[in-house]
Amino acid sequence: MLNLDELFVTRKWVGKPVRRDQDIRFIRGEATYVDDLEMECGHVAFLRSIYAHARIKRIDTSKAAALSGVLAVVTGEDVARETRPIVPRAITRPATQYVMAVEKVRYVGEPLVAVVAEDRYLAEDALELIDVEYEPLRPLVEIEDALREDAPLIFEEAGSNELLHEKLEHGNIEAAYREADLFVKERFRLHRYSSTPLENWAIIAKHEKGDDAFVVWANDQQPGRSTTNVCNMLGIPNSGLRLIVPDSGGGFGIKLAIWPYIVILCLLARRTDRAVKWVQTRREHLLAGTHAPDARVEIELALRRDGRILGLSIKDIQNDGSFIHTAGIYGLIKFATMVGCYDIGATRAELVSVVTNKGPTVQNRGVGKPTMIFVLERMVDIAARRVGLDPAEMRFRNFVQPGQMPYSTPSGEIYESGNYPECLRKALSLSGYEEFRKRKEEMREQGRYLGIGMSASIEPGTSNLGYYYTHRGLPEYMGNAEGAIVGVDYDGNVNVLLGSVDEGQGHATTTAQVVADMLGIDPGRVSMSTHLDSLISPFLGHSGCYSNKFNDVDLGAVIMATKKVRDKMLRIASHALGVEAGELTFRNGEICWAKDERRSIAFKEIATVAYKKILLLPEGMEPGLKEIAYYKNPAAKPPSKANFNVQLTHSNSVHMATVEVDVDTGAVTIVKYVIVHDCGTQINPGIVEGMAIGSTVHGIGAVLYEEFVYDENGQLLSTSFMDYLKPLAVGLPRFEVAHVESPCPTTLLGTKAVGEGGAIGSLAALANAVEDALAPFGVKVTSLPITPEKVVRAVRETGEI
Amino acid sequence: MHRIAVRINGKAYGHEVEPRLLLVHYIREKARLTGTHVGCDTGNCGACTTLLNGQPVKSCLMLAVQANGAELTTIEGLAGNGLHQIQEAFLDKFAVQCGYCTPGMILSAYALLKANPKPEEGEIREAIEGNLCMCTGYQQIVDAIGHAARTMRMSGSR
Repeated sequence: MLNLDELFVTRKWVGKPVRRDQDIRFIRGEATYVDDLEMECGHVAFLRSIYAHARIKRIDTSKAAALSGVLAVVTGEDVARETRPIVPRAITRPATQYVMAVEKVRYVGEPLVAVVAEDRYLAEDALELIDVEYEPLRPLVEIEDALREDAPLIFEEAGSNELLHEKLEHGNIEAAYREADLFVKERFRLHRYSSTPLENWAIIAKHEKGDDAFVVWANDQQPGRSTTNVCNMLGIPNSGLRLIVPDSGGGFGIKLAIWPYIVILCLLARRTDRAVKWVQTRREHLLAGTHAPDARVEIELALRRDGRILGLSIKDIQNDGSFIHTAGIYGLIKFATMVGCYDIGATRAELVSVVTNKGPTVQNRGVGKPTMIFVLERMVDIAARRVGLDPAEMRFRNFVQPGQMPYSTPSGEIYESGNYPECLRKALSLSGYEEFRKRKEEMREQGRYLGIGMSASIEPGTSNLGYYYTHRGLPEYMGNAEGAIVGVDYDGNVNVLLGSVDEGQGHATTTAQVVADMLGIDPGRVSMSTHLDSLISPFLGHSGCYSNKFNDVDLGAVIMATKKVRDKMLRIASHALGVEAGELTFRNGEICWAKDERRSIAFKEIATVAYKKILLLPEGMEPGLKEIAYYKNPAAKPPSKANFNVQLTHSNSVHMATVEVDVDTGAVTIVKYVIVHDCGTQINPGIVEGMAIGSTVHGIGAVLYEEFVYDENGQLLSTSFMDYLKPLAVGLPRFEVAHVESPCPTTLLGTKAVGEGGAIGSLAALANAVEDALAPFGVKVTSLPITPEKVVRAVRETGEI
Repeated sequence: MHRIAVRINGKAYGHEVEPRLLLVHYIREKARLTGTHVGCDTGNCGACTTLLNGQPVKSCLMLAVQANGAELTTIEGLAGNGLHQIQEAFLDKFAVQCGYCTPGMILSAYALLKANPKPEEGEIREAIEGNLCMCTGYQQIVDAIGHAARTMRMSGSR
């Protein structure tokens, strides 16, 4: 962390809830999402598989191709001829998959045929004319189906439906088990859900005939990786793809998997020599977009009688569906928070990634950490009951203490800062924990069932991108970094370009606050286009908006580039004013002599010298006033099975949920919800609060409402927002958000992750609260979601949700 | 093809349209007003909310031909060159993240405050029940609408 008093020339903006005036276009309906671009396009629609698992015997597209207004028809066979297969990231067994179904379909909704027509209505008409003959195969829907001995293989070449099976031990787990007095063990089932950005995927691809080059507009979340993937798969040089990301209506990880469709759209653009556009429908998004995988997790804690946890074993089986690119990642990334907020000396992990005939999975908000924290925080409550401790006391006894920071987990994850006990103390106080216990008993006498539940969680940020290759030799990506260009324009205003994209986080305002304090100007004088253009934006393989890296490496790059510009401005000013640079200071858009502020030069004048009156520059200085910087997080370790860090910053939070359960209807009402959050230094508390609450509501949706339900044939039953229920404004509580600030020593400003925390911590807090409310019935929560039906059944019959 | 005529934000539009063309596609593609968004196709998300003769409707659930002769207001027509007080309040209270739900949210809020200038929090939540926001968890949106109600009452505007 830098000395902020030295970094900033004013302290007026960082830390304040500065309005997002940079994003006023959103308020006025003048934003530019991909579908808003005014361009003559052919329109694309996809014929998708109606079977979960089948051989494709024949596809007849002749009638569709003959329909007036149809411009091109492309099948999986064409794709296999014209592109290379998808390269998987984490799996250890061979599996070949193209961006469209070839020979076989592996999930309902897998694209079989793409049609381009003069308008979307016509393209959809054409789909009706395509005839596909399938030979249905046995659908493998659940993990158990895929692992049965007689199960057919979804990828024959893999030789198994387990594409990754890894066992890793860290610390002396056997000693921990020897020393333990007791063990608690439980099995959990987690369901499929998704954070479903409100804007679906959208792509426009245009072909530049002469060069066989493409210009693509897409709401892509990680353009750094997508450009590499698309070029490799199309077999074109990097110069053959210009990717532009305009405004994007939410991402949450789900837009990390758009690039397979970019490949298809490029093929279609090449075929038709037209710009072609595909806007995903919501049904397509829910069916064949991407989900968080469902999972089966067994977890065991080895404990001392006094409640201290000595060791943790986990067996984690992920139903990764049928997208081999990201299969296995949910298992491996759990190491970012395997021991949660606790000082646990040894871990044993068995990680399994299973392919099934469910839809594709990708890194949904929190990626595996919601699952890890859910099972761990459920176990801490269960263990507390076993040893006779209050759940809060159980947590206090096991927390990593502030004095232990930086703390290394058994696998090598480094928690660089945090005050976990303080967060819990604050949450207990805000939630009225002690008083609630009394109130609960009174209510119970009236036949009402209230409960309180807590969870303490780590929210890791900035992925160290090598983590999922730890068993496959050296990865193609390591560490994390971003690039930025900062320039002072002719008029003395500041212009920033970033390699990342904005999914709604308000990067332009946050960046403006930082730059404004570094240069002593108003944030209104700092503009940043959040639209990425791979031709002009600074760019790395890591470039994009994911894993909460913005506050760390993105701002790191902005700060380093601003420093370069600032140094150059000081040298120009020093030369112009005849004053030593060390005696100069920044004031309201001018650089002046500290001893006599009347001797000053405005930014605009400095820019004039840099760009126009270049003969007035100090001797030997290059003209121009624009600097580029790349910044990488310094804490990343290279991949190693013995000692690795998956993520590079570690925020934390405590969630306390108070619920009332209606045991007759099964309805769960959240009565009160407290979030105590520590993301280190806050740049814009208004934005931080929105993220803390918004991410929590994602978790609440996952616990109470949302589930991708498949039938035994692998048909998805929840394909619209009528069946896949999202939280509404009605039915949510008013959230109380409080902060603890433990600045991060390894980021330049002391900032840490903020976008995912609520989606991680809320699952267990709610489940623990429901279990507490239903304690009189002895109900145990071992699965999600907690639906009314499951609650009623648990109360009346099963005793288990 | 059918000829339709509508007024959108006070301006007259006339087009030959297919009977199956959805109103939202008419607004976006024929009138080229892209502040009205499509988020779900099934009338659940409210990103396409538009005022039709003053009442909020989901323009993905109507055909363009059904709007023939109607007066429509979209986000672009709410405040001319400046910002409406609801829009100001959305900025003040951080009620915008990705912005995709924002136009529909603001139009639902506008219809609410016209009918009920002094809504309780529960009434605000009910009024935007048909508008999904995936980013904010709604709290700052609810606060913004309450804030807008206060500033509008103080300034006597509707």
